[in-house]
This record gives sequence, structure tokens and C-alpha cells, in this order.
Amino acid sequence: MGKLLEIKDLHASIGGKEILKGVNLVINEGEVHAIMGPNGAGKSTLSAVLTGNPAYEVTSGEVWLKGENLLAMEPEIRARAGVFLSFQYPVEIPGVSMTNFMRTAINEKRAYEGKKPLSPKEFLTLMREKKKLLELPDKLNNRSVNEGFSGGEKKKNEIFQMAMLEPCLAILDETDSGLDIDALRIVAEGVNRLKTPQNASIVITHYQRLLDYIIPDFVHVLADGKIVKTGDKTLALELEEKGYEGL
Amino acid sequence: MKVSKGEIFERLFVNEEVHLQIDQEAHSHVKIYVINAPFSITVNQLEEGCQTEIYALEHLRGEESVTAETHVTHAVGGGTSNQLIKFVLDDNARGRFIGDLKIAPDAQQTEAHQTNRNLLLSETAEMRTQPQLEIYADDVQATHGASTGQLDESALFYMQQRGIDKQKARQLLVGAFMKEVLDKIPHALIPNSLIPLLNAVDGVVE
Repeated sequence: MGKLLEIKDLHASIGGKEILKGVNLVINEGEVHAIMGPNGAGKSTLSAVLTGNPAYEVTSGEVWLKGENLLAMEPEIRARAGVFLSFQYPVEIPGVSMTNFMRTAINEKRAYEGKKPLSPKEFLTLMREKKKLLELPDKLNNRSVNEGFSGGEKKKNEIFQMAMLEPCLAILDETDSGLDIDALRIVAEGVNRLKTPQNASIVITHYQRLLDYIIPDFVHVLADGKIVKTGDKTLALELEEKGYEGL
Repeated sequence: MKVSKGEIFERLFVNEEVHLQIDQEAHSHVKIYVINAPFSITVNQLEEGCQTEIYALEHLRGEESVTAETHVTHAVGGGTSNQLIKFVLDDNARGRFIGDLKIAPDAQQTEAHQTNRNLLLSETAEMRTQPQLEIYADDVQATHGASTGQLDESALFYMQQRGIDKQKARQLLVGAFMKEVLDKIPHALIPNSLIPLLNAVDGVVE
């Protein structure tokens, strides 16, 4: 069980305002880490910084992915190296079909790994197989990326893309928000089925509800830009009961 | 020129300057597509039940400068007109769209739509849009819209987060923007010279 991600004293800001104030975290292969915390604690900032969102500035600290300097990589290189973000608000891209988008993404990743691009037939077979996992209808292929998708379809589509790209580190940012209980179950089952001894996930959530389905190995509480408490899954239940003030 | 009663006039112009002055007779249909060329198109719907469609795409780079003009007049009612004019401007390119749309007092139950959308890919590219609507009839459906913007940064980041190179992500977004016009052109009219562009926009793997 090797070390996958190491975050050391990470500070980050947006528009000159410091949001992350010294985050430390180590994630090993095979682990599921939940990050909980009140609104404004920096949960989404952490996911944005790890994926290289240009709106945020890292002011100090280090992040290592399998021993490589993650912060030095362009966003697309981080993605090809296996960092995947399930967006809290997936972006609609009118005019770019899901098929075209996904084939470009897959083949860019394969090129990075020194593999040949998938043939159109291989690609479509893979799409079909992975879509079943999320119970997504076939018609979504021809639609523009996320355009006109319901809230539930958007979140399923994120996990579908995760299934296609097989990341080593998946960050699920409030994946449960806006989902009804059936969609939540499908999304969580999808995530669980993608789990392997080699990959890991960071599950960012406001509520304990998602963690009934995706069982975390560790629960961290992020407050005011720092991890203030770490425990096992029972910490999430404790938070649900007592609230963040009860810490 | 005149498009006679019940006739269809349909033409695609690629890289050739267009000057057209067209009078439409009853129930005639004009469809004009322009790709990468300056144009001035005047259409008068002189009799009832005419249809006019003008679709244009201008992709300008370097020091290129293009003016596109449409002058559409609905002299009598019951006609339709549809215009979609798009510019993609890179480097120091300059674009200008002048769109006159007139609906005469007697032209009741006219349906007229004019849309001009422009995408600026550089800080130094420039677009000027001058739509002019004169609507003298009251029982009509007329819409017009003009907007000039840049590539959606959040869409770019979303694509990069899936491993797509930033340059390629830009190409996909520009292609998506152009596709709306290109999709209007019937396959039979498309010359071989346009096929690479269409394939690029559709993401066809060679």
C-alpha cells in the first residue's frame, strides 16, 4: 500500500484572500478519505487547487502525487497522471458532443501513457459498458456535454467519466448535492465498484448521508482552512449529531 | 435579381465576395450561406409567403477585416426571415456586421429573426455590430440578438480536468461555436474544400 498523495502545509488564496491556511494530508493507495466541514471552510478550494484551477493561487506548501510535484503540472497533465475531479457544478458545453469530448479525453490520456488511441469501435464498446454502471441512457452520447442534463444526470455523468478515465485519485466534490435517494444510490454504487487496491478517493461532503453508501477509512474536518480533526467513520456520525460547533 | 413565384434560390459562397440584391415573388424561398467572405445581401420580400434564410460564418485571423451586411425588407405580410451571422476573430482581426431589418406597415404576421454572435479569441481582435430594426407592423414576431464574448473559461478548465490539452480544448469550443452555422448547410452543397473544416468541427477521427 504505497503513498499516493501527500499534501504539506498547503496555503492557497483567491483574489488575495487566504482560504487554505496550512493543510496537511497523506493518502495511501486503497483509501477513502472524507473531508467534511462547514461552508466556507475551504473544501472546494482544496479540490480546485489539487486540480490546478487557475482562479486559485497556491502561496506556499507542497503536493506530491506518487512522488511527483503535482503543483508544477498543468491541469491537463494532472488529469492524465490520474487526478480526477467530479465537479460540484459540472459545466455545460453546448456544441461539443459527449462522444467527441470523451474520445478526445481518453485518447489524450492513452497518448500520455504511451498507448495507441482506441478505435471508434473499441471506444463505443467501452462507453456502452461503463454507461451501464451508472444506468445512463444511450441517447446521452449524442447530446452536448451536460447540456440540458438534469441535476442527477450531471452527477451520474461525472462518475461515468470517472469510470472511463480510471483515475488513481478521484476527488468527489459535493457529489451528493442535488441528488435524490435513488440517484445517490446509483452514484455511490458506481464509485464503490470503481474502487481498487491501487486507487484512492477524497469525498468532500457537507452531510453524513453520502458516507452511509461510500464508507470512508478516514474522516477529516476542515475548518477555517485547516484540518482540525481526523477520525474514522464514526466521526461523521458524531458531526451529524453535534454539528461542527460541538467539536 | 428576381426569384420568381414558388421558386427556390439556394447558394453557398466560400471565400468569394458576395454582392446580392434579390427581389422575392410570392412563396419563393431564398437560402444563402456564406463562409469566410465579405458580403452585402439585400433581400426584398415583395409578395406574400416568402421565406428568406441567411447563414454566415466568418473566421478571421491576422490582420483580416470583413464587413457583413444584410438588408432584409418585408414589404408584405406572412413571410419569414431567419438570419444567423457568426464571427470568430483571432489576432488583430476586425469584423463588422450591419443588419437592417424592415417590416413595412402592411407586413402583418411576419416572422423575422436576426442573430449575430461573435467570439473574440484575442485581446486585440475587434467586432462592431450595428443591428437596425425598423418595425412598422404590430402583429409580427420579430427577434434580434447580438452578443460578443470570449471562450468560456469554466468550460476550458472542465476539459483540461479531463486531460484535454488546453489548445485542443480551445479548438473544440471554437468548433462548437462554428457548428451551429455549418450544420445549416445541406450536404449536397458542400465542396470538397470545406470537408476538412467540417470534420474538424465534428471531431471526426481521420
